[in-house]
Order: sequence, then structure tokens, then C-alpha cells
Amino acid sequence: MLLTDLFKQGEFVITSEVGPPKGCSLETLLDRADKYLRCVHAINVTDCQASVMKLGSLATCKALLDNGHTPVLQLTCRDRNRIALQSDLLSAAYFGINNVLLLTGDHTTLGDAPNSKPVYDLDSVSLLKAASMLESGSDLDGNKLTGSAPKFAKGAVVSPCSDSVNAQLHKMDAKVRAGAEFFQTQTVYDPERFISFISRAKSFGVPVMLGIVILKSARMAEFMNKNIAGVSIPQFIIDELAADPERAKSGETGVEIAARVIKECRPYCQGLHIMPLGLEDKVPQLLECL
Amino acid sequence: MQDYTKFKLKSNNELSLLLEGKDNLLVLSCNKCFKPFDGSCANEPELDDFLAIARDLGVNVTAAQRVDFLCNSHRLSKLLSNLPYQASAIVVISCGIGVQSVAELAKIPVYTACDSIKDSGNHGISLTDKQCDACGQCFLSTTNGICPVTQCSKGLLTGQCGGSKNGKCETDAEKDCAWEQIISQKSLDHNANSNDIMPAIMNDFTQLDDICVYNYNKISKHDTADLALQIQKKRDESFYGGLYLKHRKVFSAFLTLQKFPLPEKVVLPMSQHAGMSAEPIVRVGDYVMVGQKIGEAVGTLSSSVHASVSGVVSEIASYRHLTAQHETVCVTIISDGKDKLHKSVIPIPYWEDLDIYDIDAIIAEKGIVGMGGAGFPTPIKLKAQKPIDTILLNGCESEPYITADHRIMLEYADDIINGLKIILKCTGAKQGIIVISDNKSDAIRHLEAKTDEIDDIFVMALWSKYPQGAERMLIARALGRKLEPGQRPYDVGTIVLNVSTARAIGDAFTRGMPLIERAVTVSGEKVRNKGNYMVRIGTSALKLLDYCGVEDDAEIRLGGVMMGSLLDNFDVPVIKGTNAVIATSRSITWSSDCIKCGRCVNVCPMELLPLYYPHYEATDNFSAMAQMNVNHCIECACCDYICPSGIDITGAVRKGKKNLC
Amino acid sequence: MLITKVKPVDEILPLVSGRVIALCCEGCSEVHYPEKDVVAVLNKIMVSGTDNAIFELVYMCSQEHLDLYLQNNADLLNEFDTILVASCGVGVQALCGKVRNVSSATVISVCDTLKVPGFQGLTPFKFDCALCGECHLNETAAICPITSCAKSLLGGGCGGAKNGMCETDSAVECGWERIYKRLALYNPPTP
Repeated sequence: MLLTDLFKQGEFVITSEVGPPKGCSLETLLDRADKYLRCVHAINVTDCQASVMKLGSLATCKALLDNGHTPVLQLTCRDRNRIALQSDLLSAAYFGINNVLLLTGDHTTLGDAPNSKPVYDLDSVSLLKAASMLESGSDLDGNKLTGSAPKFAKGAVVSPCSDSVNAQLHKMDAKVRAGAEFFQTQTVYDPERFISFISRAKSFGVPVMLGIVILKSARMAEFMNKNIAGVSIPQFIIDELAADPERAKSGETGVEIAARVIKECRPYCQGLHIMPLGLEDKVPQLLECL
Repeated sequence: MQDYTKFKLKSNNELSLLLEGKDNLLVLSCNKCFKPFDGSCANEPELDDFLAIARDLGVNVTAAQRVDFLCNSHRLSKLLSNLPYQASAIVVISCGIGVQSVAELAKIPVYTACDSIKDSGNHGISLTDKQCDACGQCFLSTTNGICPVTQCSKGLLTGQCGGSKNGKCETDAEKDCAWEQIISQKSLDHNANSNDIMPAIMNDFTQLDDICVYNYNKISKHDTADLALQIQKKRDESFYGGLYLKHRKVFSAFLTLQKFPLPEKVVLPMSQHAGMSAEPIVRVGDYVMVGQKIGEAVGTLSSSVHASVSGVVSEIASYRHLTAQHETVCVTIISDGKDKLHKSVIPIPYWEDLDIYDIDAIIAEKGIVGMGGAGFPTPIKLKAQKPIDTILLNGCESEPYITADHRIMLEYADDIINGLKIILKCTGAKQGIIVISDNKSDAIRHLEAKTDEIDDIFVMALWSKYPQGAERMLIARALGRKLEPGQRPYDVGTIVLNVSTARAIGDAFTRGMPLIERAVTVSGEKVRNKGNYMVRIGTSALKLLDYCGVEDDAEIRLGGVMMGSLLDNFDVPVIKGTNAVIATSRSITWSSDCIKCGRCVNVCPMELLPLYYPHYEATDNFSAMAQMNVNHCIECACCDYICPSGIDITGAVRKGKKNLC
Repeated sequence: MLITKVKPVDEILPLVSGRVIALCCEGCSEVHYPEKDVVAVLNKIMVSGTDNAIFELVYMCSQEHLDLYLQNNADLLNEFDTILVASCGVGVQALCGKVRNVSSATVISVCDTLKVPGFQGLTPFKFDCALCGECHLNETAAICPITSCAKSLLGGGCGGAKNGMCETDSAVECGWERIYKRLALYNPPTP
């Protein structure tokens, strides 16, 4: 199932996200996905998120697919040159993994292998272009593919609450021109900024899925404010989390906050991307609130 | 100023592993480049630190030496071949280039004690925070002059990643996000006051025909290596250092020599030459004629001076000519316009029957001095103390703009050849070679044709590289003989004379005319009627400029743009060594601190370390300048020309020389 | 201007509009300046002639010099819509950073800067240093594997060398072959 088809049918598309383990067992991940993530249209699988070396995204996607889920393959430019990236896209297509989210990727110095060589042979835009070209039957260098061409739903990311919205819009424009068909956003807690962003981004005519992280504590919120790019959590939300730390820890407060934000933003977006960061069990509850 | 240190000592652990079991080491430590230069070469801490570590480890260091610009292979090979000791291995404290340079030349193992650190700005030579990765696919046109390759930590080509926070990079909270800057520049440009800048951005970027992708194969390593070697070969051609200057000779190269109108007045300095000033032998009120001796040579190193017009002596007074160090007596003659020849001006066609002493005496009597600029009395030069086998006639004229010698060679070839024959006879040399730069192909052809039938006179064409015309360079190139510092051309069996000097000698015999006129090029972008003129000695430069027409805002030099003197008062007489008056656009003068880039060392044909001179000059430390061989400097000004900090190095050299003599 | 190569005209032309001024940096002229190529390309771009101008200056990368130059030529530069810059990347960046104070013209880079050995050391074009900060020369007989091996391999030759030449270019000697040779010179095999 292509996410783009759902958008075309007017569906409010909902996705969530899992991060593969640092190890070679997928049991827990598949178990939790089965228990809690049957309620979403598709599940993103991160690609060594935050530059921490982990089990591969492609293998995890395949395992989810075999278990009856619809995976979204996240693919970053950090670790592979254009040969490997295009090859992985073909591999994904072979497995029937057609939903892809193409990103630049966090810098290598941020993760647990900071001495490694950052690649960035391509970036998110040229990777989108590469995927588009594969769909048209050739690779980025114009060499013909044999057999039938692959078909992807090509996703990209954007940060609506970034402190440099202009730069984000510029990049979004480039991504759309390179073939991006839908966008997932960085987590949003300030509907006003999201709405103002959408008012400028809607001219691109590409569906945008609101990103949301379920917050667990005031400290987590403060940490994200300080360190995570494109995240800005208003003080009253932090206060709300601080008011009852136990309840916040259980995820109840976070779900309430998320539900509020989603309700306000829903008229302005075409989908929802929930990043549970370990609170997969809260995803069904959050969706019920809507 | 930031210290652009390029390397740092490896960790103690690593060094102790490296030095384990090693013995009898030679340590070479580079004094670094691209750093504020304080004139001291002993302040880099790495060498002492390393020696302390070696001592702690009980490693025997035989010798340690600090070196300026260790990567300069030319200097390095001399250093290594003159080492008084035999080490079993060399440890190098320098960047990777220095280490590799030593390893290439040394026949023993070479180790490095350092790691090199990437700095910025080194391509551009002057210190700056700008970096260029030399990727061979410049994107700056589309990124507002902010380089995404070097300034973005991921080298992204199409826009900001999601990692920027508060305008800073995800890898470093201190570092500005390059793409944020690129985008904010764009918005500034197009719509400074509007909140809605989207259309501008979008329009701007749809201009890009396609999406930027790196092309790592655009420039092959092979090609760049080839190019590098070609450049190096060209640089090493004929002599170390020097410059390929723009010739700018086309302005006047094809204009035939014109007789410059007789001036109403000439001012004849009694010192137009190296050595003692001549003594005036006329008095105010005397009537003198063309070619009449008015100043008598005094002592062994001197030259007589002759009237260049006929008329009355109006003044004998001291002035300072800008090319001389001191004031000199000048004889002013008001021309009567009749240009009457003095009775002493009679041809001497029978020179072949004269003995060499008579010939030399005539050359002396006719006041002939070197016309290339230095003005060394020719008869003294010809009386060499050692056997001479070859006379070199210098027709290189490697200074930009100047074409006086070029025209002389084309229009006075017979006089030149005649002069050369006389010189050969006078010195007993076996052969005479007229050396001409290959940018004067017509002169080469002309003189080749003229000398075809003459057994002992040849023409040699040389690649034009500045300062090819300097004695040492010329001898090295034409004869393959190397002059050690302090040596004179006669030490290697040769004498170098300017082609104009040869013409003057020829003229002194065929017409009997003393040196009273010379060819002068008036050129430069700011001169309206450029040309080459036969000018009477003593004519004011102001006269020439008025005659040719000069724009107001010009910068005017007597002599070439490299070695000539900048004029503030234009009313100075043309003297025997004046080959040009050049008016160019006013150059922007600026100067900043020395950044120790080493380019002056790289271009100095005398293989000196010019960067030290301005530094010592600033503190009047002339003995230090002498130790750095300031007297070997030929003042070719290559260092001034290339200095990215705009430092007047030659000025410092002149001051140093003046104080030392 | 250090080592540069002029871009193809087609690459520059679409970016050019209005009155055009070209600034050519001749600072590092003792090294290499592709003067003829620059003039040829500029002549193709600046067709109309009268509306255009070419100026030479030295060391565009020198802050002091550039400040003075811009100060003296502010009025002139303001008359143009496009500034073509023939310089290395450092020069272009330096100019762009400052020129906005005096002119709103678009700055276009005419050259590609080439990576040429010896940049950092200036003289010895034979050697290159990647300034990687972790020098390997001690293990490699002082021949840099990062710059002399096409793959920047640190652990030895890759097996792609044929007759001692690199698999990427049969005219380039394999860096590791050179390293092995010199190592043998340093430590002759004991019989």
C-alpha cells in the first residue's frame, strides 16, 4: 500500500515510528508493533537514528512487512554514497517496501561512533531526485534499469517550528521539485506556528503530516527545547508536565497534550506522524482521544 | 591576530612508541608559515617540547635545527647536503608537506613528530576565515558567496538539514549554520522589509536548472598533478624564484624611435654613475657645444659628463636626484637651439688599429656608463681583473612596459654590433652573445640576420622571466655559470653590458659622439601618446610627460614599474641610466602585518629570506639585516610585487644597505 | 587567485544579467593565473562591450586590501548589476562578504578552484597534505597514504594496482607501491 494513494483517497493518514535495536533480535520490536501499532496506516523505521549504530532499517522493514504491517523505510545520506543508496532503494522495492522517507541524516559526530567518516555524497534533495529517476527507469547518472521500474511513495521531512523557517521553506521547495510526495514534520507543540507555516507551505500542494512526540517529563521537554533542532515547547506545557511528575511519567499527561495539539492542527494538515519514543503503548490511547 | 598553527606535536604516548629503540636522530623543526611574524625563528615551542620528551625517554638526539619554510625543496636540498653530521634517522616537526619534502630528499628514514591541522584561508594566502575546498565545481554563484562545501558540516548542496538550532550547527553550538546564512542573505537581497519572502526565495531557486550534486570525478587527480608539475617546472625555469610579469610592451613595442625635440634647458648631474661624482670644468656664463666635456671624472671609479645641447651654462648648483643617495652638483645649460657640435666630436673609424688601452681611454673619454640602470662606468668594467672569454649583451628588458632597448636593437643594430666588436677587441673575449627575451622575436630575427656572417657574435633567445636581465640570472641562464654571493661576473669569465651601452660605444667611435642622448620609453595606461624617444641627457621628465600627454591621476615612475623610482616631483632630468618614464593608474597601497606566507622567499631570485628585512628595519637592527645577507639583494622588487600584506620590502632593504655602507 | 580553471561559458551565462563588471584577482600570479582563458570567457559573456568593464586587483582575499578597494570603487561597483569574479573560492567569499555594503549586484564566480598538491606548503607541488590531524607518515615511509592513494586507504594497497599503477589512472603510480618501495629502502631485507 502506498501512502500517496491514501492521501489521494482523502484519508487522514496516520503513521508511527519504531527504532531498531542495537543487536540482532527483533522479537520485542515486532511484539510491541503487533500489540500497539495495528491502529496506524504505516510504521516508520529509523535508519541508525541520531547516528547510533543499530540493526538496519531495511531488515526491520522487511520483518514488519512479513508480520502484516506497512513499513516506511527511512534512508539517510550519512552512511552511504549514491551507489549504496540507490541500491538500497532497489532492494526495498524488491521486498515490496515502497513507502520511503528520505533524509540527510544526523551528523556522525552526534552518535556513538563519532570518529566515523560522514558521507553525504548525496543529500535529501538529491536522494529524492535519485528515487524519482529510479521510478522513471534510470539511475541518477542516467544509466537504464532493466525490467520494470520501481514505484515509491517518496516522503521527506520538514521542521515547521524551526527558528529558521525561511531556510526550511527553501529546502521544502527543493524537495518538492526533486519529487517529494508527502512530508512528515518535526514534533509540533505550538499550533500557531504550525498553522502559520502551513499557510506558506500549502502552495507546494503536497500533503503534510503533523509530527508529534509524546512527552514524558518536564526535564525531557526542557532537554528537547535546548538540544533538539526545530523543537520549541511552550512554557505552559512544561509547567503542566511538572505539576504531576508521576502522571507525566506514565504518559497520560503527554497524551493529553498531544491530543490537544493534534486537534488544533488537524484542519491544516493531511496526516499525523506519532513518534512514541518507547511509549508505543500510548499510541492507541492517543488515537482514541481524537 | 589568530595563530594559524598548522601542526601540533603528537601525544607523549605516540612519541614514546615512535622513538623506542631509536638513536642518533637529527631533528628538523619548521618555523611554520601563515602566522603572525615577529621576526624570531626560535619561538616555536614544539622543538623544545620534543627535545624534552626525547631526553626523558633517553633517546640520543645528535642535532636539532630550526628551518624557515621546510617545504621549500630548493632550500632544503642545500641544507641537507651541507649537514655536518651523519644521523641515522630524521625526525621532522612540521606539517605533512614538510615531512614528505624531507623524506623525498633524505636517504635515511624520516619520521614525523606532528599531526597537521586543517586551517582556513590558506588557498587565498592571506589569512582569513574563508575556506575553499578546491572542489573544482564552485557553487558560490548560487549561494551568495558562502561556501556550502566548507561551511556546512555536512557539505550539503541544496539547503539546510533539520539539525540547525538557533541558527547554529548541530555539530557545534558555536558554529553558524551555513545554509541559514545563505538563505538570510537571499531574503535580504530581495525583500528587505517584507515578512513574506517566500516568492523571492522560490523564484531565485527555480533559476537553478537542476539539483546540485557533487561530481567527485570532475577534475582528475592526474590532471591536477600534471598542472602542478607544469607550473613548478615553469617556475624553476632557468633560475630559482622570479616572476612571469605581464609584459605590457605592446603599447610601444611597434613605435619607432623618434627624435625628442631639443629641450630649451638641460640639467646635467655630475653623478649619473656609480662611484665618484665628476668635477665641473665649466663656469656659469660659459658657452658650451654638443659633446663638449663639462665634467671631468675624478679618481678611478668615475665618469665624465658632456653637454647634450649647445648653449650657455646658466647655473651650477647642488640638487638631489632621486636616483642618487646624496645631493649632486648639476650643470644647467640653456639651449641656443642651434645644436652646434663641439670640435672634439670626430669619428674614430680606425679603432681596429688601436691598442686596448687606447680603446678603453676613448670609452672613458666619451663618458660611457652602463645604461641598464646601475650606471657602472663601462671602461672600469672592461678592464677586468680576470681573463674574459665571453661578453654578454643584455637585450632582455624584462621589466614591463619598457621597449627602449627593443627599439635600439631594431634600429641601431649596426651600432650595437660595432660596439660589441670593439668590446671584444678591448677585452680579448672569444665570443659575444646578444641575449634577447623571446617576447622580442622581431629583434631576435633582425640581429640574427645581421650577425649571421660574424664568426664570434651570436644571438640567444631566452624565455622571458623577470628578472632575467639581472646579471646573475643572465649569466646562469646564458652560460650555465653560477655566481656565488659576492662574486663578480669576471670571476666566471664574463662581462655583461646592456645593448644600449654597446650602441653608445659604437656611436662613440663611428660618430665620435659622447654619451649625450639615450632611448627612453614613455608608456603606461595613463600616457596618451605613448612612444620611444631619443632624448638628450638632462631633459626634464616633465618635458616628456607634457609632450606625450599624461592624465592627472597617474602614478609616475622614472625607470620601470618594478625597479624604477616613484616621482612626486616630475621636474627631474633624464640621466644616462633612465630607460623609461611610466605613468600608470594609481595603485591602491595598503599594508598589513606579515603573515609569514613565504611567498617572498619563493620568488626571491637571490634565494634570500626577504620577510626578515622589514622586521629588522622597523627596529633599526641593521646588523641582523647584514647577517641575513641584505647586501646580496639586487632590489628586483619581486618580493614587493608578490607580498599579500603589501609590505615595502625593497624600501627596507634600501634603508638597510644605506645604513650598512 | 591560486590554481583555478575557468568554468564553461554555458554554466555562467544563465546567471548573468544587466551591466556586468568583472573583477580578476591576480594576487598569486607567481603560481598560476589562467589569464588567456579568463579573458576569452569574459569576452564571450560581456558581448555588448560599452556597458561592461574588467578590472584587475591583487589579493582579493586580503581583508585590508579589499576594504580599501571597495571604499575607493564603491560608486563604480554600484553601477553594475552583475559582478563576475575570477578568483579562487576564498577570493569570491571574501568579496561577497564585503561587497554588499557598497553594491547590490549579484556576484558570480567564474572559476572552479582546483585541488592541487602543495597548496598548504606553497612550494613543493609534488606533495600534498590533507591536514587530517592524525598523521600516518611514520608508518608509511613519509609518503602520505591519504593523498597518494586514490582510496585514501590506511592499511595497505587495495589489490587494484596493475604494474604498479593505480586502478583509477594508469598514469599514476600506486601510492602504496611507492610506500612499499621506500620502506624497503629504509629497512633492507636481511639475507
